[in-house]
Amino acid sequence: MALTEQQPSRSLNLVVPSAPPSVKACCHTTTNGGAGPEAPAVALVGAPNTGKSTLFNALTGARVTMGNWPGTTVEVSRGVWKTTQSAASCTCEECTCDPGEKRLEITLIDLPGAYSLDPHSPDEALTRDLLVGGPVAERPDLCVVACDASRLANSLYMVSQLREQGISILVALTMLDVAAKRGTEIDIAALSQALGCPVVGIDPRRRAGLDALAGAVREALGEPAPAPRPVPATTDALERDDDRFGWIAAAVEAGTRAPDEQPRTWSDRVDRWVTAPVLGPLIFLAVMWAVFQITTAVAAPLQDLLDGLFAGPVSSGATWVLGAVGLDGTWVEGFVVNGLIAGVGMLLTFVPLMTLMFVLLALLEDSGYLARAAVVADRLMRSIGLPGRAFLPLIVGFGCNVPAISATRILPGARQRVLTALLVPFTSCTARLTVFVMLGSIFFGEYAGTAVFAMYVISIHLVVLAGLVLRRTLWRTMGTEPLIIDLPAYQVPTLRLTASVTWLRLKGFLQTASGIIVAAVAAVWLLQSIPVQAGQSFGAVPVEDSVYGVAAQAIAPVFAPAGFGSWETASTLAVGFVAKEAVISSWAQTYAVAEPDGGGPGALGTAVMNSFTESSGGHPIPAALAFMVFLLAYTPCVATVAAQWREIGPRWTLFGIGMQLVTAWVLAVAVFQVGRLFW
Amino acid sequence: MSAGPLSRVLAEVGAGTPTLTQMARNLGLDEEVVRAAVEHLVRSGRIESRELSLGCPPSGCGSCAVASGGGGCGHPDVVAGRRPGLVMLSLTRSNG
Repeated sequence: MALTEQQPSRSLNLVVPSAPPSVKACCHTTTNGGAGPEAPAVALVGAPNTGKSTLFNALTGARVTMGNWPGTTVEVSRGVWKTTQSAASCTCEECTCDPGEKRLEITLIDLPGAYSLDPHSPDEALTRDLLVGGPVAERPDLCVVACDASRLANSLYMVSQLREQGISILVALTMLDVAAKRGTEIDIAALSQALGCPVVGIDPRRRAGLDALAGAVREALGEPAPAPRPVPATTDALERDDDRFGWIAAAVEAGTRAPDEQPRTWSDRVDRWVTAPVLGPLIFLAVMWAVFQITTAVAAPLQDLLDGLFAGPVSSGATWVLGAVGLDGTWVEGFVVNGLIAGVGMLLTFVPLMTLMFVLLALLEDSGYLARAAVVADRLMRSIGLPGRAFLPLIVGFGCNVPAISATRILPGARQRVLTALLVPFTSCTARLTVFVMLGSIFFGEYAGTAVFAMYVISIHLVVLAGLVLRRTLWRTMGTEPLIIDLPAYQVPTLRLTASVTWLRLKGFLQTASGIIVAAVAAVWLLQSIPVQAGQSFGAVPVEDSVYGVAAQAIAPVFAPAGFGSWETASTLAVGFVAKEAVISSWAQTYAVAEPDGGGPGALGTAVMNSFTESSGGHPIPAALAFMVFLLAYTPCVATVAAQWREIGPRWTLFGIGMQLVTAWVLAVAVFQVGRLFW
Repeated sequence: MSAGPLSRVLAEVGAGTPTLTQMARNLGLDEEVVRAAVEHLVRSGRIESRELSLGCPPSGCGSCAVASGGGGCGHPDVVAGRRPGLVMLSLTRSNG
């Protein structure tokens, strides 16, 4: 017997602030908060969340002491469990119990939660030491293992290990009601036979089955420990565990009765369709199309409203205030009105759109649907010979490329990490979405959502094609990494979580707008204010004659074959290298400075349309499509480049930038040249 | 001696069976046994389990502390109270 006053080295070092007085020694004698020294010790063990502590509290009530186990920081509770037994079985000489019903006091020890006897923490190590680590004489007289009936197989691993030790055990089965709700019936007698130990069904929360448990414990205490379960003579851990799980599977099969045919839940029925090899991807595409369509259609009026607000009252108000303090007509007015308000204001008009988009994506994610989309993506990855695990960074990339590059760390091989990091920039992040939406609404009107959706489809194809090309050229010998996915059940999205996730992402968008975009706006304004030719003053130079305009005119011809060779458009691509949202702000700045009186809702759209019409020779739609494709395929932003530099080194990063630029240019030219034949 | 449930589950993971339900069906085992086996294999380091999240703030992630962890802003550690979502299980290198 382990935990008695006679064994100080292993006794609990407990603090008992109000110890009850000692009474006459007997089978139920209470001494210093514990049962008498002859009282049997019963250890309560089990994995966390099996109801073990609830059971301990139900059995001991307030008769509990707690403290750290000597030499450890692990807290152990000990209490007195007062049971009754028949008078005939009491051996106390001076017993004062009722002759017909004698009490038996048991020292109940609530050991730290442990899944197995293979410790992964000090708590589990202590449990193992107390149960099987010391001499047999110091072990508890009985182990009561709390097992969750709704996760029976999981709980039985500890039982399987204890049964190998030849110690007395009893299984207290909790959560029977949960198991029943899932359609699982437990045959306690059959389970007991399969496990080779007593099994009692209890519900400690409702104090049900506690008397039966007490009776079974008293009975088990009177029985000798069962013979240890035979185990294979092997030192191989997997083989040993295999044997245990074989035993567990047999016990589960013998002791549980599932319905003849598992009821097919509505979740199963939905999954049958949404994860189907052919239909699954089609459903995913349809869902995403609906998301973009809803986003653009619903957010458009709000966006126009905000556009009017910034172009009208906000700009006019700022001009009036600056005029009132004598700064009208100065560079300050130019910076504030044509720089900050035009640039950042234009970006802020996308707040309703981004909010709606984030809400819809959060709903899809919280409901469990996006997890199904991941299954579809994973299957696609593997079908083309790419590592299945690569789908995670690629999916994250559709949110933002930077963490997606970091997420390539989950890939075990350096080649896989490099390959995936090179593919991530082809995933269309939400920063690019703002530009797509703006161009979509300018050039495609009510079909804006479809145009944006098309960019995402092209993005997926780019990832797949680039992956295939790289695999067939640079990494022919790379193996695939299999994986499985544990799908969560579908659930009704909660308002709180949806709002929380949406706000977190929107906050990121706003932080970008207030940080890097303001800096980009200031840089663009500065470059647009510096004249190239002598005789012109700072801040009063036409944009095309500024450093910004002249540099843009130098690179614009490169994009002429793609239909967007105007300097106003080409310059935004250079700015977009910093961050894609800056494409919009720089456009707004350029046209605000170039046409300071042309403000008003929709003015930017008209200016952009005219620019594309002119640069494309009258084919603005294919030119806009080509521009969107270029925007999709070329370097996402400096933050992504920095992340790539960190993860895959400078050589592969530079290779990636070159590959993206070449791909983007070739595709843009192809789209325009083919498209101009039709539009 | 025929392979036990753990070895068979490991083989299924290696074969790329997409879901636990499918795995239980293939092996003719109770799904709870398969789930327990997978959890045990994760605990013993033979399978890696990773909760996935989707989506991050647009841009701005370069300075985002959350992003550096690779989980993204939707990770349960970041959004308090978020329910468990998609879990990816894969063989660790020692099993590959």
